[in-house]
Amino acid sequence: MKIGVYFCNCGSNISGKVDSQQVRQLLETRCDAAYFKTCELMCSDDGKAYLHGEIAAEKPDRIVIAACSPREHEGTFMRVLSGAGMNPYLMQMVNIREQVAWVTSDVGRASVKAAALIRGAVKRVGFHRPLEMKSIEMSPDVMVIGAGPAGLKAALTIAETGRKVTLVEKRAVIGGQPVLYEEVFPNLQCAPCMLEPMLDEILHGEYAKNIEILTLSEVVELYGFYGNFIAKIRKAPRYADMNQCIGCGECIGVCPVDVKNEFNNGLDNRKAISLSFAGALPNVPFIDMAECLRTRGEDCRLCEEACPLGEGIILFDDTEVILERHMGAVIVAVGASLYDAGLIPELGLGRLPDVYTSFEFERLLSSTGPTGGQLMTRSGRAPGSIAIIHCVGSLDANHKEYCSGICCQYAFKFNLMVEHKLPGTQIHHLHKELVYPGKEEYFLYRRAKENPNAVFTAYQDIGTLHITAAEDGILITNALSADDPIKADMVVLCPAVAPSKDSGKLNEILGTTIDSLGFFEELHGRLDSARSKVRGIYIAGACQSPMAIQQAITHGMAAAGYAPSGIVGGKRLEIEPITASVDMDRCSGCRVCMLVCPYRAIGFDEQNRKATVNEVLCEGCGTCIAACPAGAINGNHFTNDAILAEIEGVLA
Amino acid sequence: MSEGSTTGGFEPKIVGFLCNWCSYAGADKAGGAQKSYPPNVNVVRVMCSGRVDPQFILKAYKAGADGVMIMACHPGDCHYKEGNYKALARHRILLRVLAEHGIESDRCRFDYVSAAEGDRFIKILTEMIDAIRALGPIGIRMILPKI
Repeated sequence: MKIGVYFCNCGSNISGKVDSQQVRQLLETRCDAAYFKTCELMCSDDGKAYLHGEIAAEKPDRIVIAACSPREHEGTFMRVLSGAGMNPYLMQMVNIREQVAWVTSDVGRASVKAAALIRGAVKRVGFHRPLEMKSIEMSPDVMVIGAGPAGLKAALTIAETGRKVTLVEKRAVIGGQPVLYEEVFPNLQCAPCMLEPMLDEILHGEYAKNIEILTLSEVVELYGFYGNFIAKIRKAPRYADMNQCIGCGECIGVCPVDVKNEFNNGLDNRKAISLSFAGALPNVPFIDMAECLRTRGEDCRLCEEACPLGEGIILFDDTEVILERHMGAVIVAVGASLYDAGLIPELGLGRLPDVYTSFEFERLLSSTGPTGGQLMTRSGRAPGSIAIIHCVGSLDANHKEYCSGICCQYAFKFNLMVEHKLPGTQIHHLHKELVYPGKEEYFLYRRAKENPNAVFTAYQDIGTLHITAAEDGILITNALSADDPIKADMVVLCPAVAPSKDSGKLNEILGTTIDSLGFFEELHGRLDSARSKVRGIYIAGACQSPMAIQQAITHGMAAAGYAPSGIVGGKRLEIEPITASVDMDRCSGCRVCMLVCPYRAIGFDEQNRKATVNEVLCEGCGTCIAACPAGAINGNHFTNDAILAEIEGVLA
Repeated sequence: MSEGSTTGGFEPKIVGFLCNWCSYAGADKAGGAQKSYPPNVNVVRVMCSGRVDPQFILKAYKAGADGVMIMACHPGDCHYKEGNYKALARHRILLRVLAEHGIESDRCRFDYVSAAEGDRFIKILTEMIDAIRALGPIGIRMILPKI
């Protein structure tokens, strides 16, 4: 085998610290290189042309390039090899710049070290095999899970590229949490009006034909891998024809059943057939069959009879279906929820009727809410004083240690909205910390501070606050100012933003990971927050971290840019050849490899009782190879033989 | 006199298994900063510390290494999610096996170096060299089985 060694001077970077002539002499023993040549600057255009010419002239079987770090120019030289008609994997780089020349003060010892490393590479490269990129077909389409701001923006952005998007939403309506808010920070814009154009685009816009909206639906299974996922989606019956219903709502008024309205946090009632809230989209009611009289055996048809379009719109015999969809990538945008303030019983949530979570308070402020936007206590009185408790369960080792970053903003928003609705109402802000970063965020804080009826009071720890019923309202005692309890008619709790309840279950279905806080885990906190650790599954919005609407939408756009970038219609998915492979004759079927694989890339062939590696999912880390007790798995390019030879070489 | 020695004294030979993403990049970082350190460690790059098969380490001793270092991404930072934890677990077990063969635990070090920690790379490497210098040559080569 003819192995050629090229020694790059890297200008004077290497030649100034490593003596190439001494290296050449050292390699005359204990090294099987056929020749040793030096080059001035291998990565320059001249250097690449030189290497190209050398490959043609010398026709080496293998090449060793002693130069800079392979992290810098391995790709460069691999492309030169390819261009010269040589398989790019038949080359090994030796890092004699970063790890020898630049770090060794003695030229003699540097040369000895360089020679040892080159010996290792020469020994190793003999075991290199030509490897080829493989490719498979892939789907350019995407599934988005969750139709809140992040998911909607992602779905719309991808649909605009002409791809098909399956948008899976658990609830009957799209728009996520913000469609339930009257106004949003920082500028008190009307939230439904703000979101409506986007919702309308999704439902009726130019690219709506590319988006399949599945409401009342959940992903129950996902298998396959990047480029080729197959999802099973359970779609619960809506009992109304999405395509024909005109959304007039005639059917709702006649329904004789009253149930608590979860869209208003149970603060009022809805019918068994309902539209969630005024302005909900899609504008098609759904029947809550658990509550419908028909479930109790009664032949009630009042809704059907009230329908101006006649029969066939209300579909009593609608059933649950399992749909199967094929896609190349998945975006998870399932949002977050609030930390359960009921876990801090001193705060009185659920015990005192006028203690509300911020979600509930948003609905009380909303014109589509239970009171039509009239601010009043449960007993129907206008509140003279409202206490807003910040940092509920936040910055607290016993609950959630982080700051959610949005609660102060909406608390200041509440201040302004209350001031608008009921001027003169006393507002107490009880807080541990106050945060208002960003270019627009200070405004609301300033307005709240300027409100002559607003009082800001610090508290030390949520456990030092006690909220009790008083004769005509609520009494809040704060250990920091115990002599001066606060009287309020309403208390609003601003709990930490917490992972949504179903995150864990969905995480298991998708095979992704969740972080120690329960949020979907990103590939990298700073560099790759829109990607999960599973190739082809992206994350966007508050399911990754607490965030405001603006960030969630931006995150949705990021995922939407990222997800399709690798899966292009008509292109094939290239598969890196540095993967593990199983020697079927040696595999005993013990499945240890399956346990250690971080990518679920190893499957089990039940028929032959052998492990099989999925080359698309395999990232080439080699953990399974080190774990296999039978030595039946090997890693392309990082084979045991090659590594053992390199070890022997560097010590020769 | 061995090739690595300028003084004729004992110059430890050490093999370092460095993962591509963190510790190898950390070693490059030390290089980029042009900070000089003793040339006793020859690096073998692997994609992940989880790839380091215990037989690589035995092979290194057999081939003349006085010490072996396995360097990995910090906990939670592994490019391959959890290969560093696998490497850590294997290292713990291997130390017991090595002890049975009279190989001191200081001759086999597992540690974490991030891509930014050039100084930490040098610190660990220097400590390792000093520790091996104190122990002397390994001298057990003959009793290891053939690998």
